[in-house]
Amino acid sequence: MQNRPAMVAVGRTKFGEHYGKEPEKLIEEAWLTASNSCGIERRDLEACYLSDCFLPITNKLGLEEGFLSELTQLHVPMEVTRSVSAALQTACHAIQAGVYKTVLVGGIEKMTDRWDKIRDDLMLLEDPWSYYTGATPESNHELMMRAYIKKFGLKGKDLDKLNTALAQVAVKNHLHATKNQYAQYQKAITVEQVVNARKAARKPLGLYDFAPISDGASALILTAETNAKKLTDKPVYVRAVASATDYLNYHARDDLAHFIATQIAMENALTTSGVNLADIHLVQLNDQSTMMEMVSLEDMGFCESGTAWKMIFDSCKDYKGYYQVNGKKLYTNLNGGLKADGNPLGATGGAQLYEIFKQLRGEAGARQAAPEAELGFGCSQELEGFGTKAYVTILGRN
Amino acid sequence: MSSEPIERRVSYLGDRLKASRCTICGKEYFEIRDYCSNCGRKSYMKMAAADLFYDKGKLELCTLVSEPTNKFTKLESFVYGIISFHGGKIRVPGRLTDRIIKDGETVDFASLEGKEVVPRFRRRCSVSKSDVVPTISLTFTLADQYYPHREYNVLPPNKDSELPGIVGYGVYTSRFRTKEGGIERAVPFIDEDAVTAAVEAGKTALIHSALDSSLVGKVYVGSESNPYAVKPIASKVAQVLKLGEEDGDVQGVDAVDTEFACKAGTSMFKDAAALVSYQRSGVKYAMVIAADNSQAAPRGCPGGELDMFVGYGGAAFIFGKQDVIAEIEGWYSVTSDTPDFWRRDGETFPMHGGRFTGDPAYFKHVRKASSKLMERYNLKAGDINYFVPHQPNPAFPVRVAKELGFKEEQYACSLQVNRFGNTYSGCSPVGLAAVLDVAKPEERILVASYGSGAGSDAYLLRTTSLLLEKRQRQKMNVKYMNENPFIEYVDYNTYRRLKLGM
Repeated sequence: MQNRPAMVAVGRTKFGEHYGKEPEKLIEEAWLTASNSCGIERRDLEACYLSDCFLPITNKLGLEEGFLSELTQLHVPMEVTRSVSAALQTACHAIQAGVYKTVLVGGIEKMTDRWDKIRDDLMLLEDPWSYYTGATPESNHELMMRAYIKKFGLKGKDLDKLNTALAQVAVKNHLHATKNQYAQYQKAITVEQVVNARKAARKPLGLYDFAPISDGASALILTAETNAKKLTDKPVYVRAVASATDYLNYHARDDLAHFIATQIAMENALTTSGVNLADIHLVQLNDQSTMMEMVSLEDMGFCESGTAWKMIFDSCKDYKGYYQVNGKKLYTNLNGGLKADGNPLGATGGAQLYEIFKQLRGEAGARQAAPEAELGFGCSQELEGFGTKAYVTILGRN
Repeated sequence: MSSEPIERRVSYLGDRLKASRCTICGKEYFEIRDYCSNCGRKSYMKMAAADLFYDKGKLELCTLVSEPTNKFTKLESFVYGIISFHGGKIRVPGRLTDRIIKDGETVDFASLEGKEVVPRFRRRCSVSKSDVVPTISLTFTLADQYYPHREYNVLPPNKDSELPGIVGYGVYTSRFRTKEGGIERAVPFIDEDAVTAAVEAGKTALIHSALDSSLVGKVYVGSESNPYAVKPIASKVAQVLKLGEEDGDVQGVDAVDTEFACKAGTSMFKDAAALVSYQRSGVKYAMVIAADNSQAAPRGCPGGELDMFVGYGGAAFIFGKQDVIAEIEGWYSVTSDTPDFWRRDGETFPMHGGRFTGDPAYFKHVRKASSKLMERYNLKAGDINYFVPHQPNPAFPVRVAKELGFKEEQYACSLQVNRFGNTYSGCSPVGLAAVLDVAKPEERILVASYGSGAGSDAYLLRTTSLLLEKRQRQKMNVKYMNENPFIEYVDYNTYRRLKLGM
């Protein structure tokens, strides 16, 4: 990437239910945390890229840019996307093109304000025909799991291992979140709890296999490489943001067991960044479900297709804080992932980037995976819909 | 409030399962496409229709929905999955219907995956009482259970008939029954209603007749349980079954609903016959459907006596002057203003006049219409092979048949009230279908419907040799539905819940 954009500060709110707060209060909190940490003033911002998946539906806010303008008293260009990764990608393009030097990238979502209808909204927007026939936001994940089991002919002990491995994904992510003060669920869970929830629901995946409904906001300051060191000693460079798109209708896709959009985005991100897969030590996966984390490990090339469950099962038998992939450590979802950190759609990607930023700078406190010098590159995967859009971002200290 | 245009578009594609196929590369799509994404511009005007409505699919993947989204909560739990058609060329999402999943019951997904399924026309989801009723055919049942897959093979008409008559028929009722007081009654599944039964019966009639649906120029639907006070069932039937010539999204057919309590359908037999006989009408075939999700107040409430007898189902008959299986030799109708049973506008359940529904109502009118018709054609009870009376309960039809001089063997096979319950408009038509299922050529059938309010239509039919030839196509006949091993019996509370619908 030429004229590399650099992240100089990040901020976020706690994810969870923010009953008493307006959406703008959440983004204000995230933005203030970020700007304070790098000493930037709002007047330094030349543009704002905000993301929210469906504030117009949940909060009847149709012109999000307007309230951000009021909040910052800025009249600079502002654009809205659906995910932080999408906002980041657009912001990166502008900085690379030399249009702006310093911009704000933020995300916000307030899902609990529409608690009683949120699952209908999610499903209708994600895959309308499936919604019309009775699908829930959970069912496509379960169908993908069925497709995976059939594709790789898993049965007997292998199938038991897959089921356990998926439970372990949730257990691991909850364990990570116990050290994350911003996480929605800062409590550990057990494999037994995950399995019992599946039994209660009589489904392949249960309550503990899915990310929750959340409110929250995240923000980051992005600046041109030439300006980065003026704002921080330790900028984190965006080496690549790549994206790919797939059919809205999950049932119409060729491969029902994987996400082709993730595969393409990852391939392009590696090419653009010139980073070797082996040098990525940190990954933030879009675990809307435990199944999605497992499949993404394969789609991103960390595991061979059809093998991630074995790797997870082996790594989690005696979990040491990372997945053991081909003899190497892969730190995955150190913030607790979407499962435990929370999943306020439009802000989620910001929390993923927040985690990588902190880890690469050695500022993750109790969660710090290893001394930052040992951590090469970090990579974040974000999905919109059920794999309809995939974004892969690669970050590094150089 | 749902969006009417969205509703219309979803139903337009989803009711008929409209699909398209690229005639260049063969790729198929579940939707109407002007272009193929593979072939691009050169495929313009080269896309062919490939509706899945009469096809059978394969359940590829499935899971259980035990916590549905808001509009599906009345279904409680159901199996949801992905269904493929045409060897995997098209995949669609779908819900398995006609299955009550009990609390704690587990579903073995692996054993269901790979099974063949048949699309069913059903209500899509719940809406508020003032909204458009959403429908869809992305609901499926297993092909090896109650509802089999039947091919719809169109054959050109071949034999002219002097008299108009029935050229095809179909009966539809659900796989659920309730058994009580010595009789069995059909109970709709929660996503069924008079509209879905009308469409399914019409579909069966088209399959049985092998008639090109575009030749049907008029459709009448008689019902007293239309979910709408204003909006015809017939328009849905015409659209889904593609009656009349298709031009864009409009069908070249006249469609109308009729109402006269339980004779709303039978009353139109003569109109259909007359229409196809009037050459300048341009209508070669007319379809009459009679279907009801028979309404009754809960037991113990005013009108609750009906709750012992109400059923669910309907029948469709196609009339024409070619390839006739039963000619209409004559008819006689009687009417008097007798309010023995009624439902006021805005009321959910009908009321009835108790003991006055018998002698001054049912018996008087049925007796009069039947005897006048026999008199007109100089026939005695013994000259008629089958008598099909309206059957609101098991006792009335037997009594009227005996009074008219019919013997048990003449009316027994038409009596379906013990199996389906009183299907209101569908009642005597289902009885007629049961007779057509077993009659031999050159036999005489006397049908006498009854509609409260009150009136009766009596018809004299004479079967032809084509009856036997077409019978091979009638896979889902009355006997099949009565003796099906997949019938599921439900208790009183479940019956009330299912009947109330989504």
